[in-house]
Amino acid sequence: MSGGIPTAPMSPTAPTAPTGGIGTGGGSGTSRTGPRAAYAWWGLCATGLLLILLGPELAPHGPTATPGPPYRPPAAGAPLGTDHLGRDVLSMVLHGGRPLLLTGLLAVGIGSVFGASAGLLTALAGARSRLPRMLLMRPLDALAAVPPVLLVLLILTALPGRVGLITAIALAGTPLSARVAYAAAEQVVGRAHVEAAIARGESRCRLLGREVLPLVAGALLADAGIRFTGAVYLVAAAGFLGVGGSSDADWGRLIVEALPGASLQPLALLAPVLAVALVAVTVNLAADSAGHRSRKVLA
Amino acid sequence: MTLLAGPVGRRLALRVATGGALLAVLSLLVFVGVDLLPGDPVTARLGPNATPERVAELRAARGLDEPVLTRYAQWLGGLLRGDPGTSFSGKPVSEMLADRVGHSALLAGLCVLLLVPVSLAAGLYAARRPGKPADRTVSTGALLLVSVPEFVIASGLVLLFAVGLGLLPAVSLIPAGDHPIRHPDMLVMPVLSLLLVASAYSIRVIRACAVSVLAGPRVEFLRLTGVRERTILRTAVVPAVLPVAVQVWLVTGVGLVGGAVLVERVFAYPGVGDLLVTAVLGGDLPVVQAIVMILGAAMLLALVLADLAVVLLTPRLRTGGAV
Repeated sequence: MSGGIPTAPMSPTAPTAPTGGIGTGGGSGTSRTGPRAAYAWWGLCATGLLLILLGPELAPHGPTATPGPPYRPPAAGAPLGTDHLGRDVLSMVLHGGRPLLLTGLLAVGIGSVFGASAGLLTALAGARSRLPRMLLMRPLDALAAVPPVLLVLLILTALPGRVGLITAIALAGTPLSARVAYAAAEQVVGRAHVEAAIARGESRCRLLGREVLPLVAGALLADAGIRFTGAVYLVAAAGFLGVGGSSDADWGRLIVEALPGASLQPLALLAPVLAVALVAVTVNLAADSAGHRSRKVLA
Repeated sequence: MTLLAGPVGRRLALRVATGGALLAVLSLLVFVGVDLLPGDPVTARLGPNATPERVAELRAARGLDEPVLTRYAQWLGGLLRGDPGTSFSGKPVSEMLADRVGHSALLAGLCVLLLVPVSLAAGLYAARRPGKPADRTVSTGALLLVSVPEFVIASGLVLLFAVGLGLLPAVSLIPAGDHPIRHPDMLVMPVLSLLLVASAYSIRVIRACAVSVLAGPRVEFLRLTGVRERTILRTAVVPAVLPVAVQVWLVTGVGLVGGAVLVERVFAYPGVGDLLVTAVLGGDLPVVQAIVMILGAAMLLALVLADLAVVLLTPRLRTGGAV
């Protein structure tokens, strides 16, 4: 929703929101099944990842090459046929994965670092005053009221191109990362070892790095995984809408370009649709199981 | 009205005040925050080779040479009077939005109308049979659907229903001036793709909530006293699930709008999405800002309503008893 659900986050302003118990354990994929199935699952994930990262090298044709006539069905040179411009569908799909993953990864890295810093600093200062909470967290709450797709579009209007896209996705993830970091750190800052460190007069950096961070790192990483699900969605959506400086072979762009000719060459639509769906589902499952594990550690 | 004087009224007043404050902060972020971003729409559109005179000319034409706070005050004043400003193309934004907001709201409204019974039924159905194949199917399906972007699902539906089976039109070609409600066959796939993603999340939440209620001591007691399962479901499970479900439905309903932008694009449906994307590509900031503010306000309103619904549906909160 909202964009998917990563796009329709639970209300940040409703304290009664059911944040617990949503993970139903419906399909963490690895927990119920035996270790062999788990290895197979991780092996498949690693192969897929390698395929995406090395895709541009493996592709038989360049992203702008037109080896055949438009809308040619699968043949010897082009196993998935050609698209509306005569480009090889397989090559296009192979070229599109790497930018999608790397853009998402970079944006999530920036957004999570910002969000986690805001949340941790607020939690650390929160014991003494409410001011940082008002100054840091409230504006982030307001930001979280905007559906991420709209936030991305708003920022891309003012700041077009890849830089704008990365900024926008980072900003879309920041409020929720900050809330998770704040919630996790709030439980930790009251503990005895942190109070002892404060009493020893440790600096704020040492306090954060040595006393708080090791205890909340699992929750932060799990949260980054969830943000990555949202980022993949947003990069694909930006490519689909044709904003954000998408490359020729962007999966979202391949989908929107294949739609008009879907009845002539369904494979040109099916291939990028399956690629986005597979990546989104895999990332979501991995984030889900990481979240389950970190919740067990915190509790 | 007696309700409003009690704890419910106080809580509602507090929520409305918080919502208003958040809206004010949001307007500041949307207007001043965007202005502070490095680069600006004018130089970005004209490219690096534009002469300084040309840039200054375009900035002046768009009113960008005045201080940001002056412009913010004018913009906010206009919004409060119901006038969301003028597009860079010279047209009033309200005129550009007029029909399209209604069309998009129709899509979201239909989706929410279907979302409520579908997600409640599927969630309860799965919760009644935890761990059984039926529950596995529903839960796994929801988990898979929840992560797939709407436009991907919509494209998949096009492949299935329009290309494969030839049952439905692939594009919502609604004649200008005609209302989409008169073309129900063109509404089916847009609504269905939104519904699939939205219900996936709601089903997960409702199922999880119902499972914990069904395993609780209250249901166990009712079962031991010999109350029929259907009665238990109606009197114990549904009332306990509703406060959570209403929140999810409201928030998902507003969140749908973001996904609707993408789905509208798949079917060329004449809603806000099309206008929004054209405005983004043309750097038409006033249009985008107006749409973001309208939808942000709708989201905050939904959160206030969700909170109110929780209070009204929870007896302990409604009467202001011990918390």
